[in-house]
Amino acid sequence: MLNGRAALRGLVGFLLALPFWFGFSRPYESAIAAGAQAAINLFESPDVTRLQPGNGEILLDRRDFPPGSARPGLPGPDIHFNFVLLVTLFALDHKPLRGGHVARFLAAAAALFFVHVVALVFQVHSVYVTSLGAWSKANYGPIARNFWAAGFHFYQIAGRFAAPFVLWWLFGRREEEEPLERPLRVGKRKRRG
Amino acid sequence: MSEVRVSARRRSVGFLLRFVALLLVFYLIVASHPVNDAVIVPFTAAIASVSGRLLNAFGEKAEVVGTEIRSSSFGVNIENGCNGVETALLFGAAVLAFPAGWKRRLLGLAAGFVAIQVLNLLRVITLFWIGLHRPALFNSSHTVIWQSVVVLFGVLLFLLWASRQKPLSAERSPAGRSRKG
Repeated sequence: MLNGRAALRGLVGFLLALPFWFGFSRPYESAIAAGAQAAINLFESPDVTRLQPGNGEILLDRRDFPPGSARPGLPGPDIHFNFVLLVTLFALDHKPLRGGHVARFLAAAAALFFVHVVALVFQVHSVYVTSLGAWSKANYGPIARNFWAAGFHFYQIAGRFAAPFVLWWLFGRREEEEPLERPLRVGKRKRRG
Repeated sequence: MSEVRVSARRRSVGFLLRFVALLLVFYLIVASHPVNDAVIVPFTAAIASVSGRLLNAFGEKAEVVGTEIRSSSFGVNIENGCNGVETALLFGAAVLAFPAGWKRRLLGLAAGFVAIQVLNLLRVITLFWIGLHRPALFNSSHTVIWQSVVVLFGVLLFLLWASRQKPLSAERSPAGRSRKG
């Protein structure tokens, strides 16, 4: 059952997650940029895509871009701010710091990292298919254009909000027999006796 | 694993599958051009209009043009992702995926949609105020804080609603009957 105490724990989780997220955004963006670049390079020949994080943006560079041309910047926080949502949902548990729950949170956070890498891959390709004018049209057909652009649009509109909820439901939420908040014990001495 | 736990796990995974499928369907509907142009854009313009009126009532000189709210020194354009529709989709998919009666689902959907939109109005108004008076805080307030608050509100509303339902499948299943007996 969701009650006042669970909501208070969620609020505390949210308030703790915010400074953590602000503090670790940059190194985290380096990690997801490295993961996404490796994934994109796997299917490129030659591997030309380079992702460089910095100043709240992930700079999209290609070795075959003309030198001196502008490089698109992808806003990093839009991709990974949902980490805050994940922490808040896990904080709802009546014992959020017990070992098993923390281990399940770490598993969910690892899965969310994978979601962020995939979302960044989609974002890079959505730039390639929609924002590079004649080059986009020459290199991508309508199916590829719709696949990459709609995939990233889905993440922006629904996926980034749904991902923490789905991961919490899978990893963090106890089964329906166990409510979010254990009921207060009434007449506990009677039960022990 | 006990029969009750297996049954609960199955219901839980079934809920998630229905939730993701409904979310995809809702996304396809709202992302389609006809729905976007005929419903989402006018709805967003209505949010901008109500927000503009409230801001003017609070003494800010705001002007609304379509989905944009402007003053002499600051302006915001309310786009998809800022109109509360994304949270309403999430909430709607979760309520419809949850095994409950249709009357309760429809009541939950209506009440939840109104509550989410009221909070979203507060978000638009405060973000405009922050952009006008504390511009340095606008980006983080917009991207992280308010966006998280509105989505969390939707999720918590669903959990609150779900905690008050008797799941139909639980009542029908052997596990549900054994608990009653």
